[in-house]
Order: sequence, then structure tokens, then C-alpha cells
Amino acid sequence: MASVTTRPAPIAPGAPRRRRPWRNILIGTSFILPNFLGFALFTLVPVVAAFALAFMDWDSYGTPEWVGLENFQRLWDDESFHVALRNTFYYAGGHIPLTLVASLGLALALNQKLRGVNFFRTAAFFPYITSLVAVAVVWNMLFNPTAGPVNLLLEAVGVDDPPRWVSSTGWAMPAVIITSVWRDMGYYMVLYLAGLQTIPKEYYEAAKVDGANAWQRFWGITLPSLRPTTFFVLVMLTIQSFKVLDLIVVMTGGGPGRSTLVLAQLVYREGIVEGQFGYSSAIALVLFLIVFGVTVTQFRLNERRNAS
Amino acid sequence: MRTAISSVSGHVKIIGVAAALALGVAACGGGGAGAPSAGGGSTTLSVTVWNLAKTPEFTALFQAFEKANPGVTVKPVDILADDYPEKVTTMLAGGDKTDVITMKNVTDYSRYSSRGQLLDITDVAASADTAKLAGLDAFKVGDTYFALPYRQDFWLLYYNKGLLAKAGITLDGAPTWDDYAKYAQQLSSGEGNDKVYGTYHHTWRSVIQAVSAAQTGGDQLGGDYTFFTDQYTMAVGLQKSGAALDFGTATAQQADYRTMFGTGKTAMMPMGTWYISGILESKKKGESDVDWALAPMPQRPGSAEVVTFGSPTAFAVNKRSESADLAKKFVQFAAGKAGAEAIAQVGVVPALQDPAITQAYFALPGMPSDELSKKAFAPDKVVLEMPVSDKTSDVDTILNEEHQLIMVEDKSIADGIRSMNERVTKEVLN
Repeated sequence: MASVTTRPAPIAPGAPRRRRPWRNILIGTSFILPNFLGFALFTLVPVVAAFALAFMDWDSYGTPEWVGLENFQRLWDDESFHVALRNTFYYAGGHIPLTLVASLGLALALNQKLRGVNFFRTAAFFPYITSLVAVAVVWNMLFNPTAGPVNLLLEAVGVDDPPRWVSSTGWAMPAVIITSVWRDMGYYMVLYLAGLQTIPKEYYEAAKVDGANAWQRFWGITLPSLRPTTFFVLVMLTIQSFKVLDLIVVMTGGGPGRSTLVLAQLVYREGIVEGQFGYSSAIALVLFLIVFGVTVTQFRLNERRNAS
Repeated sequence: MRTAISSVSGHVKIIGVAAALALGVAACGGGGAGAPSAGGGSTTLSVTVWNLAKTPEFTALFQAFEKANPGVTVKPVDILADDYPEKVTTMLAGGDKTDVITMKNVTDYSRYSSRGQLLDITDVAASADTAKLAGLDAFKVGDTYFALPYRQDFWLLYYNKGLLAKAGITLDGAPTWDDYAKYAQQLSSGEGNDKVYGTYHHTWRSVIQAVSAAQTGGDQLGGDYTFFTDQYTMAVGLQKSGAALDFGTATAQQADYRTMFGTGKTAMMPMGTWYISGILESKKKGESDVDWALAPMPQRPGSAEVVTFGSPTAFAVNKRSESADLAKKFVQFAAGKAGAEAIAQVGVVPALQDPAITQAYFALPGMPSDELSKKAFAPDKVVLEMPVSDKTSDVDTILNEEHQLIMVEDKSIADGIRSMNERVTKEVLN
């Protein structure tokens, strides 16, 4: 074998031109193969298996039994699923726009030439690298309805009956959203900062010469130039929001009642806790389709905009 | 022709190397999962446990068993207490071969046994002193046993002797719930950081629901929960008046019942007997200086006997165990007299009821010695905390969700109970 490969291959006239691409593809493939095999073994196969499980009844021990659409029928009638679906959209509806605005605002503020700007950038990024459990526990303390600083502050500024945050059904989700926005905005701020660096200064100079004010410059130059970044941030945020689990589990455990129960948590509860892996996979499949659908729509919209 | 072969064999080689690399990675990844079962043999027995360092009964039992069976080594598989049921579920589903599986509660037991993941040990149960084994019935599935209890916890009332004496309250026998609520009002004092609550109801639903079921004879799987009403009225009333820490705050600050009682923040506390070993331990370490004693669980007015609820903890044998005989021997040992003696030594209540063991238990240093504490230790009836059926966990989820809504005062008691009735009937029993 070794001798065969070391010998330069005699080139047959006419043939090599067609074979080259093949060869390149094979070599290229072989380079990504280790990574792809890992992905296939530990991600692709389980995902496909989970899709199949959605149409089966399986308690993790016996032989899976094909039940067709029964799991989905049950899903349709399951009130907890509807509650979790609504809550997931509620969370996404709050988390996505707020994080987007907060991170863009932060990036704009920290894009100025300020003394100690690096310190503030680091400070803004800090929540993102902090352990999520610590974040949740500390925010729970801040939101403590009777002795928490948030409510003490609200009372101090004259709010007589401040919200009971995580101990009330109405305010638990806003409390979770506030915490998650605080945690995530630093990360997306970094992406926006990077985006801001790519906007040529000449644009702003030209706009100033034409007499555009700050707001017009932001609206006419900054925002359109940031479109690729915004698109990326939006896609990432959407995916992240729909599969939220960890923060909610630590902060509220889905409660009080079912007021912060989200789909990913329901997947965990039905699958790992209750051992109904078929049903749990059905919920996961729905969650996947939602995320997939929203993301595809975003890509389509982005393409159309780019074309126009 | 030749060109084609040589170039193809070149690719084969590259791909081969890549595949070997990938397989190597995969093999490393897979190695970990199989490891716990390796190195078995009949002289090593693996047992799943939770929080080994903070649950002294396990070490006590293992040492006693090793001493009684020379040559045998018990290997604990330590799991975080909060993740225990999920972790064990995953282990069993993945074909783990750990020999003995500890049944932390009866609900999980019913799941594992109905899935056929546990070994039938009816023969061991038949040979044990079953008449004296409290909580054994909970493990009977048809005519079969898949686990034997070694420990039986039940609920009683802990109280702070100093605070009660200061308020001029003396307990003799089980108080009624009305008396209990009245005492709680009298015992609460102070504001802010000095606040002392009359009593503390932990956030678990059992504090309200299991006790009403036990004392009224109500069925927690029945779909009609009006029998919870009195208990909720009492509990919500106490937290509204500030005599008990309110549920919302307790959840938000993840209140620890051990801290509440151990630091004298509350004068009374209904809680399970497992806390006895905890309080003995924290007093020994100097973390707490509370002067405590036990009283029977408060009762409904006119009750002739002391009724409380509890739940047994048991050992079962994994169906996939490779040393099932030794595992069975361990289960039998733990449920027997030697096992009971070993765990009573560390302040844990054994399932095996024996006057000699109870006496030894109260002789432990730090245990209260008054008559009422001893009386509290022998309730007339201990009802299983939650009945076992295939509906248990679904009902449990609903009752817990509605419990939270009532206790954070988002729903009135009547509304909360109405939606328990509706949801359990519609979503589970239908």
C-alpha cells in the first residue's frame, strides 16, 4: 500500500480533469469526518431516534411500541401542554425584544470613547459567564416579596403594593424575563460591538456634513449597517428563548402552579421524571418544529430584504 | 485502471485513519458509562445512595454488613439527593448493573417495579419478621414484594422548649389543630431580623394534604379534595396573621426547615422523624443550641387516637444485578435486627419495631427524655404519605401545582380545591 501511494500517479490523458473534484471532496470529507462522526453518533442519531420515539410508547425499559399519532392526540388534549406552550411564547415574546434592545443600547453606549470603557464592557459581559444557578438564586433573593431589595426600593419610591414577583402567578414570568435579559444582554452586546466596528466612519462623516442629527444617523446608518448582526442575534435569541429550561427550573421550578412551566421543562418532566419517553419526544418534536419554523421564516424574511 | 486503484487505496487509508481516530474518541466516550459495573465479582456489592456524607445511616449499615460478612465490600454509588429519582430512572433505563437500589419513596418504587426493573424478592420478605416491619405493606404489589423497608419515617411535632416555657405553654399529649394554631399565635414575636414565628410549615404539599388525608380518612387519589379545607384554612390563616412564615417568602428564599428550627426562628414545626438525626448532628457540631423536644402530631378535635402519616425507605435488588444473592442478603440484613440496631445508633428510625431498639434510640446522647417525646414516637396509626398506583405521580403533580396556588394566595382555598377536583378528574381519572 505504502509503495502504491508514494509513487506519483501517472496521468492518463483526458481523465484527471474529471477526477480531481472527486478527490478533493474525498480529502475534504476525510478532514471533517472525525467531527462529523462525533456529531452523528452523539447528536444526529439521538435526534432522529427521538423523532421516531414521538410515534411510539416507551417507558425506557421495555420494547417501544408503535402507536402512530396517539401521542399527538394526547398532546392536543393535555392542558399542561397548552399552558406550557403559552408560557413559552410569553417568555420568548418578552425575552427576545427586550434582550435585543438592551444589548444594542449597551453596545451603543459602550462604543463611545470613554475613560474606562473596557471595564464597563467587561462588567456588562460578566453576568453571562456567571454560573446560572448563582444568578437565579441571587435574583430570587432580590425579588423576595417581603425583604428583597427590589421591593424595598419600590416601596421607597412610593409603590404601596409592589408585585410579589416569583411568589405570584402574574409576576413570576416577568421576574424570570428580567433576570434572563440581564444575564444575556452582555453576550449579545459583544456581538453588536463587533458589528459596530465594521461600519465605516466615512458614512457618519458624510451624514454630518449633510446635517443629519444623531437620531437620523442611528436610524439611517447604524441600524441598516447592523442588519447582518441583528439577524444573527435574532436567530440565536429565538432558538435560545424557545428552549429555555435551566433558569426557570432554578428560579421557580415552573411555579407557582403552572405559571412559568415551559415546553422544555415539560419534556424533562414527562420523559425523565415520569418515564414516558414517547410522549416526551412528541412534545420535543413540537418544540423543534416551532423553533425550526420560526427560524426558517426569519431566514426567508432576511433573504427577501436582502434581495430588495 | 491502475491509477484509479492507487488513488482509491490512498483515500481508503486516509479515511481509515480518520475512522480509527473517531472510533477512539467514541470508545473513550463510551468507556465511562460501563465503568460502574466493572470489577464486580461476588465480593463487591454496589448500592445507590444519596448524599452519602450527610446521610450517616448508609455508612452505618454498610459497615455493619461488611463486619457481619467478612470479605464483602460495599461500594456506595453516591447521587445528589435532589436528582436521585431522575438519576436512578436514567441508570435503570440504561441497563446499569448496580446491585442494590435504594427506594427513596414509594412512588418511585411503584414506577420501577411496574417497569419490571426490580427483582422479585418475595422469598426474602417471607423469611423476614414481617409483623414487626413497619411500612411493609406499601411495597406489596399483588402478592409480590420487590423491596423491603429498613427505615420508617413518620411526622410529629418538634418544639422549642425554651420558647414554649417563656410563653407559658405546656404540652401534654397531642394538641388539637385549634390549640396548635392558638399556640402559634401566642408564640410569634418580634419584627424584622428578630422575628420568631409561632410555627413553620415547610413548602411541601404533604404538610397540609397528607396530614388531612391521614386524619380524615380522605383519599388523595380520589378526585374529591374537600377534606383538605380545614387544614388549608388553618395554614393560610396562620401565614396571613404572620404566625407562620408565608409560603411565597419561604419559596423565594428557599427556606431550609433545619435552619428555621435549629436557629430558633420558629417555636414549633411539624416535620418527619428524619430530622431527629439532623438536629442531633447539628447540636453535636455546635451549629445549633436549640433546646428541643417532640410532641405527637396535632389532631382533629375529638380524635381518640394519634394518627399521622409517614413513608418507609427500602432497599430493592436490581434485576440486572450480577450478584443478586449477595444483594438479597443485604436487603434482608438491613430490614433485620442487626440493620435496625446499626441505623438507630445514628438517630435514624428503623422500620423494624422493637422495644429494645426504641429504648436504645432514646438513650442516644442529646435525645429528649421526657414522656411526651417518647409518646410522640409511638403514634397509634401511621398512614402512608401518598397511596401508590399508576396514577400517583400525575395526581401528585396536579396537587402540588394547586397547593402552590392556594398557598401563595393566588387562588382562594375553595377555588384551589375545586380545580384540584376538576383537574384530577379530567386529566387523570377520566
